[in-house]
Amino acid sequence: MDNVSLKVSNLRTHFLTRRGIVKAVDGVDFELRRGECLCLVGESGCGKTVTALSILRLFDSPPGKIVGGQISYDGLDLAKCSLRQLRQIRGKDIAIVFQEAQSALNPVLTIGDQIIEQIKLHLPLDYSMARDRTISLLSEMGIPSAKRVLSYYPHQLSGGMKQRVLIAMSLSCDPQILIADEPTTAVDVTIKAQILDIFHELKASRQLSTIFITHDLAVVAEIGDRAVIMYGGKDVETAPVSEIINNPKHPYTSGLIECLPDVSKTADRLASIPGTTPNPIEMPKGCAFHPRCPKAMKICKQQEPPEIITSKEHKVSCHLYT
Amino acid sequence: MGKSWLRGYITKRLIYAVIIAWGILTVTFILVRVGPTSPADRYLANIAAGGHDVTQAVAAIEARYGVDKPILVQYADYMGNLFQGNWGWSFSTSMPVTELIKTHWIYSFQLILLSSLFAAFLGILIGIYSAVKQYTKADYTFTFFSFVGISIPNFWLGIMLILIFSVKLGLFKTYYDTTLPLFSIDNLKALVLPVITLGTGMLAGYVRYTRSAMLDNLRKAFVTTARAKGLPERTVIGKHVFRNALLPLITIIMFDLGSIVFGGAYLTEIIFGIPGLGQVSFNAIFANDYPVVIAVTLIGTFIVLLVNLITDITYTYLDPRIRYD
Amino acid sequence: MTERLRDIVRRISRPPSNSTRLINYYWQRTRRNKLAIFGLTFIIFLVLLAVVGPFFTLDPTLVDFENKNLPPVGFTIEQSVYNTETDDFITTKVSGTWNHPLGTDSKGRDMLAMLISGARVSMLVGLIATGIAIILGTIIGVLSAYLGGWVDNVLMRLTDIMMTFPFFILLVLIVFIFGPSLVIIVLAIGLTGWTGTARLLRSEALSLRTREFITAAKAMGASDNRVIFRHLIPNVISLIIVIATLAIPGVILAEAALSFIGLGDPTVPSWGIILEAGQNSLRTAWWVAVEPGIMIFLTVLAFNFLGDGLRDAFDPKSNI
Ligand code: SF4
Repeated sequence: MDNVSLKVSNLRTHFLTRRGIVKAVDGVDFELRRGECLCLVGESGCGKTVTALSILRLFDSPPGKIVGGQISYDGLDLAKCSLRQLRQIRGKDIAIVFQEAQSALNPVLTIGDQIIEQIKLHLPLDYSMARDRTISLLSEMGIPSAKRVLSYYPHQLSGGMKQRVLIAMSLSCDPQILIADEPTTAVDVTIKAQILDIFHELKASRQLSTIFITHDLAVVAEIGDRAVIMYGGKDVETAPVSEIINNPKHPYTSGLIECLPDVSKTADRLASIPGTTPNPIEMPKGCAFHPRCPKAMKICKQQEPPEIITSKEHKVSCHLYT
Repeated sequence: MGKSWLRGYITKRLIYAVIIAWGILTVTFILVRVGPTSPADRYLANIAAGGHDVTQAVAAIEARYGVDKPILVQYADYMGNLFQGNWGWSFSTSMPVTELIKTHWIYSFQLILLSSLFAAFLGILIGIYSAVKQYTKADYTFTFFSFVGISIPNFWLGIMLILIFSVKLGLFKTYYDTTLPLFSIDNLKALVLPVITLGTGMLAGYVRYTRSAMLDNLRKAFVTTARAKGLPERTVIGKHVFRNALLPLITIIMFDLGSIVFGGAYLTEIIFGIPGLGQVSFNAIFANDYPVVIAVTLIGTFIVLLVNLITDITYTYLDPRIRYD
Repeated sequence: MTERLRDIVRRISRPPSNSTRLINYYWQRTRRNKLAIFGLTFIIFLVLLAVVGPFFTLDPTLVDFENKNLPPVGFTIEQSVYNTETDDFITTKVSGTWNHPLGTDSKGRDMLAMLISGARVSMLVGLIATGIAIILGTIIGVLSAYLGGWVDNVLMRLTDIMMTFPFFILLVLIVFIFGPSLVIIVLAIGLTGWTGTARLLRSEALSLRTREFITAAKAMGASDNRVIFRHLIPNVISLIIVIATLAIPGVILAEAALSFIGLGDPTVPSWGIILEAGQNSLRTAWWVAVEPGIMIFLTVLAFNFLGDGLRDAFDPKSNI
């Protein structure tokens, strides 16, 4: 257990809306091991982002609420601890990098202000020390003339620069855990490659456990150690990345892999899994994937599949393996 | 960050302001002078009672005030004088218009200043609270009362305040006491009812604007970023959200200053007998004292234009993205 | 009458509401807003009162010095009455009676009857002046946007000048110069109040002008007139409805304020006129000032509730 830095068990986060209860996260289990990069993978709406937000309770509340489960970190249950305790962890022990750097930075505050603010909150540094730290962080992220950038406003930076600033900000207090919510989605291919490089370097240089959220299996293959595949607010398959890619068990995982654009084959269209993501208010009974599953059986419509451990490092929730 | 373009912009805006002021000056001048009334009207009764020849007397008076000349000449004269800092002579009070304004502006100023401070301070606080507590009982209550506040006619509110606090309870005088020294507790006390009268509508407006500006920003991604840093909610709301909400808020507040404040202050001064510029202009209109009417209108206009310009400039410092061309 | 409308500018833009389904849709959205429904109910009640009320009340001009300064039912006040026999003042207690449920003024006129005929005046002034302002504003705004060029420039500078003019001072000036008759008052308010509408409609029309269906209509050879009246204006109807609803209370307030400072039409008992008279008898008959004020207040409140509800209903972004 010492090896585990964060453990999420049976997490359920629901949103009470006018139209009904949205069960965005409805029973997710995984553990994050020290120093690893764990990927949460799934289509949009599968609950991966809400899972990430739930760890620091950052979703809007109301309407959102953690209705069950545990998030154990450092002897604390983050799902139930007081907000005061949680605030000391936010940004210090567990930091998060958001998807769209464009909107994640406050447009009317300077870059320096936004980062220094966080450092001064958590570390016993005075302003000039915090400033120096910020400058070195920014240069470490490959931002040229970091000193000048301190007085810049977000709109003066390019998309890639903003994303780096966000990463620098999240690392500013030496967190134990970094949660990255699709940091490569809103940027173009070159910047995506650069950002992935940064994550590679981070892995090498810091003792950082990362939760990397993405819908892109190619990214997973590049930087992930293990992956949790999510569908309909649940984790459906968990395994090391090589296992996931080479030996997917869940039909949904297989579907995702088939959809990967294959450079060797001259595919004239991007494949995608047929059907649409389920309505989170009325999840299909039984296995949530059954309306889209090519291998669906009768039992799939009636019973929720149990979690099956197929090998020491591989578990899957699917009736095919019972 | 350089703001070198700002100087050119300000120059342009100032020229523009002068043009608009000139337009308003002209419209006012025409309105006042084409009106079927003459400065001599107010003396007619006296003249007739004194047994003088009315036509002759009127002609004499009109010649005295220069209103017998063709209107274009009058207009040219007036503009010429204006440029030399001569705003004309007030018939009804028998003093130069500039003198008149010098003695009276302070009363309007103190009323508007105190009311704005009262309204902005309370209004912004309540608005923020209401937005943060959206859809709670407190929010509904404040929203309801903000509707009441913007709907209540301020002159009626003034009368009701006088009725309750002055007539029935005897806590305040019904009329503003002009003999009080400006910087005294008694003066402040005398201004309590007027400030509430003028401030209530503004307050209600600010609550609504603040609430909606805060709501526009409360769900933005950067707010989640701020929370993710571990900042206390006070800082998240007060610094990150409010700094962004402030931008639209300032525009609206300044914009309102022109219409609500000048209309409202006008009435408030009349109800409470505060001898500010509103009261002066009001008396001047009824006394056909057109140089005063034009002067006060012009001052009002200049203030509106100036406030707009200041708003725009403030904006460039609050919102780094702004650039006027 | 325009300041509170600015925040609508970036909102409403929906397809034309000429089909019953859309109207129904908007009605359903409005209906959810309880305050808006309260506002609508009150306005309907007021209109009915203004239309048929005068047939059931006493003559509002009937002067009756015997019964002057009667308080409303349920109130008792002390009044000093001049006694002709003893030639001095005696203090008596006077209570309201059901003959004059809302009391009487200093001339013994029935308050209820005056308030109801005042409702007629205020509603008429509100509707007509708003109508003038909106029509003028719409024409200027749409023309400005559609014709562009120097027309746009001239019209917008004119709008700027009008907007910078201290509105109330201008109103007072016009009414004083041309004389306080109801026609002048209505015209003055209508002719000065169009600026906000013109601005809003110009920006709305500008954004609509570039949309596909307008381009399509033009490509099919529709004339300018046709494009404006068949395509542009229906699209801004929803915007206009909201502007009008929120403008009416402003007009009612302006008329009342004018009357209040003695620039009302003395021949027509609007609420403002009654209120002005009441201001002078606060000590002897407080209700004369209180009652018309309450009517103005409730009417303005009702329109504000309704206007706000309509705006939310028309706003595609608001999720009510
Ligand atoms: S449980 Fe059934 S429906 Fe679900 S993934 Fe497995 S085979 Fe498909």
